[in-house]
Amino acid sequence: MDVQEAVAESTPIEAAQDKKDGLRRFTMGPNDSLEGKLTYDGHVHLDGRAEGELRVSGNIEVASGAKVKALLEASNVTIKGDVEGALNARDKLVLGKNAKLSGDISVRRLQIEDGASLNGHVRMGDFEHQGSGG
Amino acid sequence: MSTRAPGARVPRSTADQTPPEVSAGPRGGITLGPNDRLIGELHIDGDVRLGGTVQGEIHATGDVEVDDAAKVNASLAGGDINIRGNVSGPVTARKRLVVARSGSLTGDVRVARLVIQDGATFSGNVSMGPQPDAFAPVKEMPVASAAPEPAKAPAPAAPAAVAAPQPTRNDGKAKGKPQKR
Repeated sequence: MDVQEAVAESTPIEAAQDKKDGLRRFTMGPNDSLEGKLTYDGHVHLDGRAEGELRVSGNIEVASGAKVKALLEASNVTIKGDVEGALNARDKLVLGKNAKLSGDISVRRLQIEDGASLNGHVRMGDFEHQGSGG
Repeated sequence: MSTRAPGARVPRSTADQTPPEVSAGPRGGITLGPNDRLIGELHIDGDVRLGGTVQGEIHATGDVEVDDAAKVNASLAGGDINIRGNVSGPVTARKRLVVARSGSLTGDVRVARLVIQDGATFSGNVSMGPQPDAFAPVKEMPVASAAPEPAKAPAPAAPAAVAAPQPTRNDGKAKGKPQKR
């Protein structure tokens, strides 16, 4: 089943331009929730609850206190909250010290801080075809 | 009080009180240098520090340290495990596993705590919990997910349709897919 639209309740979701790299930013607050499938060209900051599938061209940040049950795909992923689901970081995944992640992950680089919890399979390396005529 | 008994063999080392040869040597344990090699099974009461080539199994009651130059193709079990070299094999850390930035680990991991520094390489399955050895009843429940199903009630002919495709966490530990490295 593919849910086409992302349903957001209580929408203080703001789309602001990121100063640093000019990418847009999708920000959810602690009382927000998202259910469905989101494809976004920019960065996503998740707080509150999110469920479904998120494919992001920029970075995903899961705030501490957030509960995410979704497939995540992004360049860099930083997790400080609870995440359940498969995860694909084209560049780097960081698990903060209070992070909880259960799910299979494939990443290029991985950093886990002491205190973080991880359950799942880890696959690491350049598994993507990134140009470089091969 | 040094009564020199004639003919008594005095161990030479007591003369000049040399400190233990390894600077930060493991307490009551073993150090394998870069030119040492161990193939087989080692059970040790204490710490172990691996610097050379190791194949087989290492079980330490203390900590296990894998140096930069080490090539370890073995299963490791210990309290704290610190990997700075190359390890391929399953790792069980009763306390904490650290893969440092120079470290590389391929293998399934059962640990209480896990630290992976940026730059480290790791591939494998991770299961974490307070007691890696005993499968005690899980204390911390994933709050959102698991609604406790009424398994106690003997439900004859369980409706198959009720099983929503829940993204089950990897319990397929049995499937040994060949891991190319």
